[in-house]
Amino acid sequence: MSDLLHLVTIQVNGRPYSRGVKANSTLQNFLRIDCGLTGTKKGCELGVCGACTVLLDGEAVNSCMVLAVEVDGSEVLTIEGLRAPDGGLHPLQKAFVKHGAIQCGYCTPGVIVAAYKLIGENPDPTREEIQEALGGNLCRCTGYTKIIEAVQHWRDYEDVPLDTAGINPPDQDRPDLTIVGKDRTRYDAPSKAAGRAVYTADILLPGMVFGKILVSPIAHGIIKSIDISKAEALPGVLCVLTGETVTDTKFGVSPARYDEHVLAKDRVRYVGDEVAAVCAEDEETAERALGLIDVEYEALPAVFDPLEAYEEGAPLIHPEEERFARNVNTRVDWNFGEVDAGFASAALVKEMTFQGQRTYQAPIEPHCSLARVEHHGEKVTLWSSTQVPHYLHHMLSRTLDIPQGRIRVVKPAVGGGFGGKAETTKLDLLSILFAQKIGRPVQMKYSRREMFYHHRGRHAQHMWMKLGMAKDGKITAVQSRIFLDGGAYTSFGVVTAYYAGSMLPTLYHFPAYKYEGFRMYTNLPACGAFRGHGVPQPRFAFESLLDECAEELGLDPVDVRMVNAMDPNTRTINDLDILSCEFKATLEQAREKSGWDEKRKPGALPKGPRIARGIGVGSGGFVSGAGYPIYRSDFPHSNAVIRVHEDGTAVTLFIAAADIGQGCDTILPQIAAEELGIGYEDVWMAPCDSTLSPIDLGAYSSRVTLMGGNAVRSAAADIKARLAVFVGRQLGCDPHSLTFRGRKIFAGPDENTVASMDWTEAASKWFGANGPLVGTGCYQPPPGLGGKYKGGPIGTSPAYSFGTTVAEVEVDLETGKVKVVDVVDFHDSGTVINPTAFHGQVEGAVVMSMGETLMEKVIHQPDGSIRNPNLHEYLIPTIGDAPKIFSAAVESYEPRGPFGAKEIGEGATLPVLGAIANAIKDATGVRVTELPITPEKVLAGIKKLKTPPVV
Amino acid sequence: MEIADFTYHRPASLAQACEMLSQLGDGAHVLAGGTEALVDLKQHTFDTRHLVSLRDLEELRAIAVDERGLHVGSMVTHGGLVRSETIRKTYSALSEAAATLAAVQVRNRGTIGGNFCSAVPSADLPPICIAGSASVRLVGANGERTIPADDFLVGPRRTLRERDEVLAEIVIPPTTWAPGTGASYHKFGLRSASALAVAGAAAWVRLEKGEVRECRIVLGAVHPTPLPATVASAKMIGKAPSADLSRAVGKWAAEECSPIDDLRGSADYRRELVKVLAARALDDACGRAAEGRHE
Repeated sequence: MSDLLHLVTIQVNGRPYSRGVKANSTLQNFLRIDCGLTGTKKGCELGVCGACTVLLDGEAVNSCMVLAVEVDGSEVLTIEGLRAPDGGLHPLQKAFVKHGAIQCGYCTPGVIVAAYKLIGENPDPTREEIQEALGGNLCRCTGYTKIIEAVQHWRDYEDVPLDTAGINPPDQDRPDLTIVGKDRTRYDAPSKAAGRAVYTADILLPGMVFGKILVSPIAHGIIKSIDISKAEALPGVLCVLTGETVTDTKFGVSPARYDEHVLAKDRVRYVGDEVAAVCAEDEETAERALGLIDVEYEALPAVFDPLEAYEEGAPLIHPEEERFARNVNTRVDWNFGEVDAGFASAALVKEMTFQGQRTYQAPIEPHCSLARVEHHGEKVTLWSSTQVPHYLHHMLSRTLDIPQGRIRVVKPAVGGGFGGKAETTKLDLLSILFAQKIGRPVQMKYSRREMFYHHRGRHAQHMWMKLGMAKDGKITAVQSRIFLDGGAYTSFGVVTAYYAGSMLPTLYHFPAYKYEGFRMYTNLPACGAFRGHGVPQPRFAFESLLDECAEELGLDPVDVRMVNAMDPNTRTINDLDILSCEFKATLEQAREKSGWDEKRKPGALPKGPRIARGIGVGSGGFVSGAGYPIYRSDFPHSNAVIRVHEDGTAVTLFIAAADIGQGCDTILPQIAAEELGIGYEDVWMAPCDSTLSPIDLGAYSSRVTLMGGNAVRSAAADIKARLAVFVGRQLGCDPHSLTFRGRKIFAGPDENTVASMDWTEAASKWFGANGPLVGTGCYQPPPGLGGKYKGGPIGTSPAYSFGTTVAEVEVDLETGKVKVVDVVDFHDSGTVINPTAFHGQVEGAVVMSMGETLMEKVIHQPDGSIRNPNLHEYLIPTIGDAPKIFSAAVESYEPRGPFGAKEIGEGATLPVLGAIANAIKDATGVRVTELPITPEKVLAGIKKLKTPPVV
Repeated sequence: MEIADFTYHRPASLAQACEMLSQLGDGAHVLAGGTEALVDLKQHTFDTRHLVSLRDLEELRAIAVDERGLHVGSMVTHGGLVRSETIRKTYSALSEAAATLAAVQVRNRGTIGGNFCSAVPSADLPPICIAGSASVRLVGANGERTIPADDFLVGPRRTLRERDEVLAEIVIPPTTWAPGTGASYHKFGLRSASALAVAGAAAWVRLEKGEVRECRIVLGAVHPTPLPATVASAKMIGKAPSADLSRAVGKWAAEECSPIDDLRGSADYRRELVKVLAARALDDACGRAAEGRHE
């Protein structure tokens, strides 16, 4: 019976599709596989994320929750079916493009389909109506702000051709620039709006087979035996791998601590540790085969708490290496200045303990890898949802012992990463191993549940902090001791432990600072990098403690930040060199815009009955790219090639910087076009493919705008230098006097009075005379960054961002529920290359950080398994939870950045946690020191107050 | 996330559905909207060898009013409850409760029958139905029976539905929306959509001459089944509605429930929520009863 096919006919986008389907096939699979309509995405497969939304007989449904056989005879509209009468994008899709409502684009088809249903019934919906209609569509990038705007403005785009002009005016005045700093729509937005963008899981190759991984059900133990015979005997199974049949080479992220195997060799260290893998003709068979593998374990005692893991006699998680005694994976011990003297001189010394949680990046696109052997079998291509194509390439080569030149790494569209796709996964390694053994393309992907186990999310940090403050609010000394729960393996953890300490002194002048960090192994999933890497929790703690001190000394929180604020051209106490710094401007402007002084006056905001309002401030800042690479190397961090098309009407930019939704495929062409003097529309982005583009270290540590941007700019300058010699001769002028602007090349700076030549003419003539016109460029951070002490390189960067967030909250005094109502954010990101992209990063960061502040926490069961490995129990904010956000850039220019630019993506997360926590304190008088600040904790705090608010 | 093989059945009549369920036995499950069933299938919660789809049973999609009351077919979706003019004009609190459930996409598939039969303690529809004196009509291979909705739910994921039975409809008597009555459902979730109730409280009251004559408070997510707070409800009787009264009665309701600790909240916190939610639901229900409106 089970192979019985049911003939169904479903009208999809007006066209009948008649197919034989198995009873267990979902409408989602029918659309993606049987109809080839991959615009309908797979995000959670359990009806929560909404990425698979389609209209079924006119109603929005999750296609993952519908059996295909159930909808025989129905009509379905998918994203591919949406279009304007002229066949182009529907005005709603255009609005999404123009308003910047699309970043990674993975949630986009579902959001647009749900919004299309709404506007069909209600063409002018209110903010609240949009929030109601899109409540079932999770987005992790945009903070929902621009989605709401786009839906409200869709009618502006009826009968309007789509162009690349953005709609957000710049905050900064840069008359010298024509494309950089001016708003342009995203390079990839139209294809994402149409559902045409191809993500790794959308690539369906002929003969493709599927791999799945068997994981340990116990948190700690020895593998006594593995019997794969029954799995191998299952029809449809092609290959089974275990620790015995894969390489012994260990891998990881930090070279000093490669501690992972492709599959567990003898010991499992967490529930989820990968033990065996199966490749089969289809996913169902692969999954069934996993159940036929018999593994015998000898259970060992496990430890789940980082403080307990440090105790004498605690179970050792890596007993094979003496350096990991007491489960300490990384130990940091920093002493800068005279801490004791600093505390002694303070008017107030305050100590507090804070607790952060394991949180999870939750990109809407699950990880996916696809491997195919090439040519005679000596080469292999890997398509992967990665944010670091080069580190992946390096690690594949090293672990699998294949030269990099024999591996081609391709990064298709990626549906968000946030650090969760910043390392080599078992999917990457195993899909290649299977492809080599079987000779067929192998697709492997994580389910949402598996993502939680392998997510490498935020370390939970247990933080003790001590702050000394003088009467005037000046910081006299800071001390912190942090235990990081690192889980079973190192991952990025070495860096995390250092970042947890290194980033505090970039914002405020610390006369003395002591930091002790303990990154602990525990029998839980390994933690890694997550937006703001290691810093959001200590920043939350510090900003909370700063407010507590200010309050005790009767000082205004903004004033306290002002008197300590970092200045430009300063070397911090931990030897980080700060050049541009407009932190004070962010404080001043946030203060003014938010109405801070008025709203902080007693009685200005209601403190009951039932609802209390409060306002709070927090600040933060981050690196614009790490000063040193993850593994030791001496090559430039970013490298770019620009090839001018032979007729001169376009250029192609080859750079393997990874656009994962943050927008570098838009920023980098803007930089290229500005430098070359051509149009943004004249630039093609080459696919991110290691056979095409040179090495770029990828999208992590907020590095791409500054480093990739500098490489692109220098490649463009290289083209100009070549053209200049030729054009100077033609125009009879000094090549150095030429101006490239507006697709023309002028003989001098004053465009109105001098001779000129068309860019296209110059380029095509150059080609005729010399052959291909190619420019190259690269970027290497300044040498010698950082102090000479241990760990000194971590936290170094060519440039630092600064920002201030003011949050206004409403607290239900009876339930403790917090609603973030308004957020004002000012950032110093140097020159803003693209205003919409800038605001989009801030808005996304605000909502993501609000999630970490108020609701997000991975919860473990006593056996080490995860209690909430799904998106209905691990809560991330929905559109109805999103506050109104005002974001703006202050005037700033970073001498080391391209056209003066710095980062925004991660820095924008950092001020938010403290701002919200401080606003809750202002509203209720309750200081919650443990994240997330749930309604339950707020209410418990209210009940403990000496003078409870009026309910 | 792959669904194991099963055999799909699509009966053409309710009688045929019951017959199939009777014959197929233990590995057979009913498929209504699928929003719970597909989660169970993907997570392999049950041994499912047969799925009997109610898709073609149009009779289960009806919403109608007759002298026995408001009849809501078990295959009416949550979205259908929200949009139904008939329900808005009769027992509108049912629409209101349906609107708090999950999100649009789930509401468009999930059904009231499924919300009852999956018998999840945090389900949003049973409390408001029970507060409204609903009964459920079950049709089986050997006939049909109508029982109080309150009795139907016996524990987490357990109901009185026999293997061969299909829940055909929910019936709410006309007295529930008669003049002088009012009802409301208040739910507390941890985010604005796609959130299960941490606690929920439904309240129905009938006022006469400014006094509460009848009251039924039913709590959700604080007991294995929806919990009628009978002691608290009785405290309302004979009194003039007021915010103070609601608050006092909310405290009684909190005394009556027996919540558990779970990832959404502790037992103590749920009791605090019940105080507040019950009071708010009573305030709204009494307000509506006094104004003579159900919306």
